[in-house]
Amino acid sequence: MSQLEELKAAIRGHLDSLDCVIGWEQGYDPLHATPLFIRNESDLERLSISPLAVHNPATYATGFAGKKIGMVVRGCHSRSIIELLNEKLIERENVVLFGLCCDGVVSQRKIRTALPADPGFVEAVEIGDDALHITLAGEKTTIKLQDVLADKCRICAYPDPLLADVLIGNKHDSRPEETLACQEAFEAKPNAEKFTFWQDTMSRCIRCYACRNVCPMCVCQDYCIAASRDPLWMSQENSPAENFMFQMIHVSHLTGRCTECGECERACPVDIPLMLLRRYMNKQVQEVFGHQAGTSLDKTPPLLTFQVEEARIKERDW
Amino acid sequence: MRIGVFICHCGSNIAGTVDCESVAELASGFPEVVYSTDSMYTCSEPGQEGIITAIHEQKLDGVVVASCTPRMHEPTFRRAVERAGLNRYMFEMANIREHVSWIGKDKEHNTNKAADLVLMAVEKLRRNRPLVPKSFETIKRVLVIGGGVAGIQAALDCADGGLDVVMVERDQSIGGKMAKLDKTFPTIDCSSCVLGPKMVDIAQHEKITLHTCAEIEAVSGYVGNFSVTIRRRATYVDWTKCTGCGVCTEKCPSKRSPDVFNEFMGTTTAINIPFPQAIPKKAAINPATCTMIQKGKCGVCAKVCPVGCIDYEQQDELINVDVGAIVVATGYDLFDWHKYPQYGEGRYPDVITSLQYERLLSASGPTGGHIKRPSDGKEPKNVVFIQCVGSRDRSVDRPYCSGFCCMYTAKQAILTKDHIPDSQSYVFYMDIRAPGKGYDEFTRRAMEEYGAQYVRGRVAMIYPHGEQLMVRGADTLAGTQVEVPADLVVLATGVEAAQGAVKLGETLRVVPDQYGFFVESHPKLKPVETNTAGVYLAGACQGPKDIPTSVGQGSAAAAKALGLLSKERLESDPAVSKVNLSRCVGCQKCIGTCPFGAIKAITDRQGKLKAEVIETVCQGCGICTVTCPQGAIQLEHFTDNQILAEVNALCPPKMNASFE
Amino acid sequence: MPAQDERELRIVGFLCNWCSYGGADTAGVARFTQPTDLRIIRVPCSGRIDPLFVVRALLNGADGVLVSGCHPRDCHYAEGNFYARRRLEMLKRFLPITGIDERRFEYTWVSASEGQRWQHVVTEFTRRIHELGPAQSFNPATQEEWFNLALNEASKGEACACHGS
Repeated sequence: MSQLEELKAAIRGHLDSLDCVIGWEQGYDPLHATPLFIRNESDLERLSISPLAVHNPATYATGFAGKKIGMVVRGCHSRSIIELLNEKLIERENVVLFGLCCDGVVSQRKIRTALPADPGFVEAVEIGDDALHITLAGEKTTIKLQDVLADKCRICAYPDPLLADVLIGNKHDSRPEETLACQEAFEAKPNAEKFTFWQDTMSRCIRCYACRNVCPMCVCQDYCIAASRDPLWMSQENSPAENFMFQMIHVSHLTGRCTECGECERACPVDIPLMLLRRYMNKQVQEVFGHQAGTSLDKTPPLLTFQVEEARIKERDW
Repeated sequence: MRIGVFICHCGSNIAGTVDCESVAELASGFPEVVYSTDSMYTCSEPGQEGIITAIHEQKLDGVVVASCTPRMHEPTFRRAVERAGLNRYMFEMANIREHVSWIGKDKEHNTNKAADLVLMAVEKLRRNRPLVPKSFETIKRVLVIGGGVAGIQAALDCADGGLDVVMVERDQSIGGKMAKLDKTFPTIDCSSCVLGPKMVDIAQHEKITLHTCAEIEAVSGYVGNFSVTIRRRATYVDWTKCTGCGVCTEKCPSKRSPDVFNEFMGTTTAINIPFPQAIPKKAAINPATCTMIQKGKCGVCAKVCPVGCIDYEQQDELINVDVGAIVVATGYDLFDWHKYPQYGEGRYPDVITSLQYERLLSASGPTGGHIKRPSDGKEPKNVVFIQCVGSRDRSVDRPYCSGFCCMYTAKQAILTKDHIPDSQSYVFYMDIRAPGKGYDEFTRRAMEEYGAQYVRGRVAMIYPHGEQLMVRGADTLAGTQVEVPADLVVLATGVEAAQGAVKLGETLRVVPDQYGFFVESHPKLKPVETNTAGVYLAGACQGPKDIPTSVGQGSAAAAKALGLLSKERLESDPAVSKVNLSRCVGCQKCIGTCPFGAIKAITDRQGKLKAEVIETVCQGCGICTVTCPQGAIQLEHFTDNQILAEVNALCPPKMNASFE
Repeated sequence: MPAQDERELRIVGFLCNWCSYGGADTAGVARFTQPTDLRIIRVPCSGRIDPLFVVRALLNGADGVLVSGCHPRDCHYAEGNFYARRRLEMLKRFLPITGIDERRFEYTWVSASEGQRWQHVVTEFTRRIHELGPAQSFNPATQEEWFNLALNEASKGEACACHGS
């Protein structure tokens, strides 16, 4: 039985007891996937778990508060779920997790660059073991999966779900050791360059809030302080400073909570590399608190607790 | 809004380095400011009248005063605007004295800075709203923790003032350290003769309930309405029946119990009444040494007890009591001198502490008031006193002075001569600290009349020398080394915070300092208050203190408690957190971070979880406001919008350039 | 004391009411002369200081931001500075990725009795900010700069540190 069939069988067994199971299906063309909300047998038939299926189902979890739902989760998605559980934003008995040992998902952005022309509408995609065969305007292009793997997958330390009721696929023994050269290169740049980079980049931001809306940890729903008058944290003016302020709010609220699912960056319509900020903050959290969000149950996010003596915060002398 | 701004000259304190007229003129151009003036002394009566008149004439609904620190006169001006009919929270202060005129010399810079601070205050005021305090009833009962002399005094004063008092004492009897003393300085009057009657008063006062062998388990609530759980340890004796006849203690065959009251100078029976004047005079069993409790064999006390009050199955008891105020009088403990290698670390039985020596001097002590040294029971002729053992010594992390050791050492030298006329006392000291009434005269008497030899210097080592001990030290006045043969060495062990003080502090939300002594609200002006409203300090739990000071503090703490509870109702500060229920998503993060348990989860009409602030418990720190990502819980008077308005006043955002 | 003739820079202070604001008062009462650049915002507790206030000030163009609260263990509200310490430490560590010099932000602890320490903190921090000079505005200050920014951006296409590599 293929992994997909195995998964379908597992979901089928739970369909009656669940309001909905969240997975993926093909989107507007064969290259793009879209979330699938499975409520019956015919929905289930459309389920897809290819490397094109990228969305984090945890984003929808809090929206189903009080209902019992299932979710197909990859490693990073399970971290989001664990973090939501730790923050008591969802209840364990209300979620059934169909875990997928994950070999990585694609970056549409990288596919776009790898294709000879702007994809627009793709006629067919054939998914091989290590390559994608994409038919675009009658012409077939083969792209190695490894070349278009999402950045988060290249350095993923948790490809297998950390929490699952059903586990599909083979667990990974070794973990990629890779580091992201571009992240390190950016961090090493002088302040002035980084400052100008964000000024430039933030002037591109259209404040669509896609990064926020897709974030599984942004649970403020309609009450995000970026768009409220009371409290009035920022104006609705579209300027680099205000746009960056919004990103700083997002970073601040995610301190010690971000599970690095990469959805914010994926969803950004103007290609702002938000993960530069996320990874950097997560690294700081790891260094100071030894904390990685969503990697173990019953851990309080570090900013919601404290130690009288902080082992790794140096008291500042004057 | 119609805002009035008042710039204070404070004589020349502000006007000397700030151009107050200019600040007032600049302020008249600030948003919604309709009236701006400067005055010589805004806090004076004419100054306050000026504000009140302006509020009436200019129909002001908000006032900014730029003067000294709000920590000084904010309450003054709040009352003034209130007299004029405004809500007291429609007032802001700009600190242009401590933060401007007194620290900067350049008049131009100072004037600019003062104007900035006024603008900040105006911008904040524009976002203030009237706040009304809630009033609540108080419980006319006081909890006194600790039954030493400070606690006894506090309890008696409170009870005499008409309040119910609950006293909790950890030991079996009240009396504290003072009950162990033989005589007191500088009058050499008998300690138990002075303290005894007060202890009896505690037992007999109709308004005082006494729990000994008891400790504080938990405290919740807030000023005027504390809820306290007391754990009373099992004594295995039914105290409602026990008459304190003492037959059980005579017959008890197990005599291995450490004699705590006599500072471990010997042992006592497993069932015991610690001393003849004990209050309450009831027996209690030490379960660690009672053979009946340990091995199930014996039962002698139960057989001999004429009233049948022995109960080997007794359990700890939890007692709940509601009180309006709490007096902490938990006293001190003695420094563990065994940390010092030079004093033998406990190898020599004839090196004892000053409190042990008190017990040897006391007629009710283990030797019946005859000074006998522990090793062979002989009467010592040469007694060496060593001061500052665990005081003023950074090497053992006790840099502070314990205060009264100089005095009791002089007293003990005098008493030694009284007990043994042919004895000779030597005192090794660092400095003589005798600042009390009659104190210096007293130490001089010890030297001059009683012939105590004072040697200024530290002791380097004590070593055995035949039947004696040899004390080697420096004489810094003579610049030589001295060796004194001693039959008995008495260490003036220093004071340290009582065991368990830090933990009790956590329970009471009273902060201990780095040595475990509780921190008062203000070192000079609020010496018995703490930063937790309704909790007061008395005696050595706040720092080393002698008896008269402890008694004085006991009375002071009682006066504070009486003053507090003399009001029928108390008002709570309305500058507390408030939840915007529509914004709250019920994530409960604020509940987790609140240090006071002031936020609880509620379910709204749609069945959704929400947070709710218990206004009287909230202390107004604002931790929750920063915790909440939606900004749903806002600390009133310090809301996000108010602080952001101040930030924006100081650093105006650079707006998008217009391309029209 | 730094020379008073140089241009003042904009330094924002967030001080807790019980310790550091009192410490600043103590410094004033003792007439401990300090540079005048700093403007103090009073909050009840360092636990009330949202790191985003600091960010807001910096993005608005503050040249420096100084936060001060009670020493750890001495918080009037028992735990406020423990939370503050974690929040502010993370902000300070995060700033480098934004290109905002993290030396423009500092947090410290000053008690109500430490007037001299407060003078020292203010003097040193002000000196540091003057050494760093005026902060670059995140928003372009002039029309020309806005225009250049737009041009710059348009010419870059996918201007991303990651995806380009």
